[in-house]
Amino acid sequence: MQSEQPGNQEASLPSQTDAELFLALRNGQAAALGVIYDRHAGLVYGLALQTLGNPQEAEDLTQDIFLTLARGSSYDPRRGSLRTFLAILTRSRSIDRIRSRSSKQKLADRCNPDLQQEVSSNTPLDHATQYEQSQEVQEALAQLSDSQQQILKMAYYDGLSQSEIATQLNIPLGTVKARARRGLLKLRQTLTSFTR
Amino acid sequence: MSMPSDQLELLIAGYVLGDLTPEEAAEFEQLLAKYPAIAEDVAQMQTSLERAYAPPDVPPPPHLRSAILNQVHLAEPLLDTSSTNSLPSPPAVFTARQQRFPWRRVFDLAAASIILALGFYNYRLQQALQTAQPSQPDAILTYSLQPIQAGSEASARVVVDPNTLEATLMVENLPPLPPNQVYVMWTVLEPNAPFTTDDKDAILTEVFRVDEQGNFTETLPVPVVYRVEGVVTNVAVTIEDAAAPQLHVGAPVVIAQPL
Repeated sequence: MQSEQPGNQEASLPSQTDAELFLALRNGQAAALGVIYDRHAGLVYGLALQTLGNPQEAEDLTQDIFLTLARGSSYDPRRGSLRTFLAILTRSRSIDRIRSRSSKQKLADRCNPDLQQEVSSNTPLDHATQYEQSQEVQEALAQLSDSQQQILKMAYYDGLSQSEIATQLNIPLGTVKARARRGLLKLRQTLTSFTR
Repeated sequence: MSMPSDQLELLIAGYVLGDLTPEEAAEFEQLLAKYPAIAEDVAQMQTSLERAYAPPDVPPPPHLRSAILNQVHLAEPLLDTSSTNSLPSPPAVFTARQQRFPWRRVFDLAAASIILALGFYNYRLQQALQTAQPSQPDAILTYSLQPIQAGSEASARVVVDPNTLEATLMVENLPPLPPNQVYVMWTVLEPNAPFTTDDKDAILTEVFRVDEQGNFTETLPVPVVYRVEGVVTNVAVTIEDAAAPQLHVGAPVVIAQPL
């Protein structure tokens, strides 16, 4: 547990939980970011690389994500895991970058219509769904209802907030939340049963 | 707590998805405090989510870590937070932090309570420890740092646990520095090691000040290089500019090799 003594604020980082590290970071202990980075950079970079398809852009985004975390983010450790927060933030910003890239490309296409077809076949969602899932995971997902699969994918994979999902699907927010949780619960139960 | 109730499992799913309401968060805290084993269910749920929707982890380029941390260190120079209010024109980062302060106090209180409840390891760390510790724990590394200057009584000792990548730094008799200077502990690697270092083959490991007696003790995270046998050739402490400690322009004050 962290000391309140000023002399130890920079010092005590035997931290083990993400919540402790995040609090330390909020309190100015920049070194806490190093531990958070060591735990989650592989996830963030992997997601960025998968979505953006470019190592340099993935590197830039990874830096962006961790600096955002250090300099102020909306993460609330009481409401959810840091890892999911980072994953959704990475997805969301990756897709923003692809959209920005596409917008610039479309602008260029007005001068060069020959490239238009190439851009239109590479939308963010098309890119994001290129991830290959194992047979086991596919079978587990098949146990979920279509709605549960869709909502989980929109939430975690496409980086959409639950209110955005509710709006897009035209269903109540509470329904989105309940289906997401039930879906994840079922997913966990099925995947766990595979490993037994 | 191998088979939590349906309601509890839905709360765990909500936590992993990051959508607990404040009321649910409070309930979840209480349950965590009562049943610490829930942490295992959280880890399983998180793993399930990522197996379905996230690619395998990909290690970023090694230089990225230091690039990010250097930016954060540059933005947050060692500065007594109690003195920030008196700064006439603080940098943007401090202005932002002061504006957030009332919120932060509230957040701190809330976060402190969840830290008590969330007495469990990050699931990745937990998994790593569960798999790594029983098999082949790495030996503790001890570095005894001696003064370069003859007649100096300065000394330092660094004890590194490569398994947890945590070290204890104990410093004695280093002269206190003026506010614009700091001590920096460097991890020095063998030349051309496959890790990102500065041009002196060093990784900035910790920035610190000593008390009036010249002493300092701290537990700190260390780079993964300590897990690679033979890569770390030395540990040293230099005096650097507080505004840019990463420049590594100072000569070693104390230096050592592993015992």
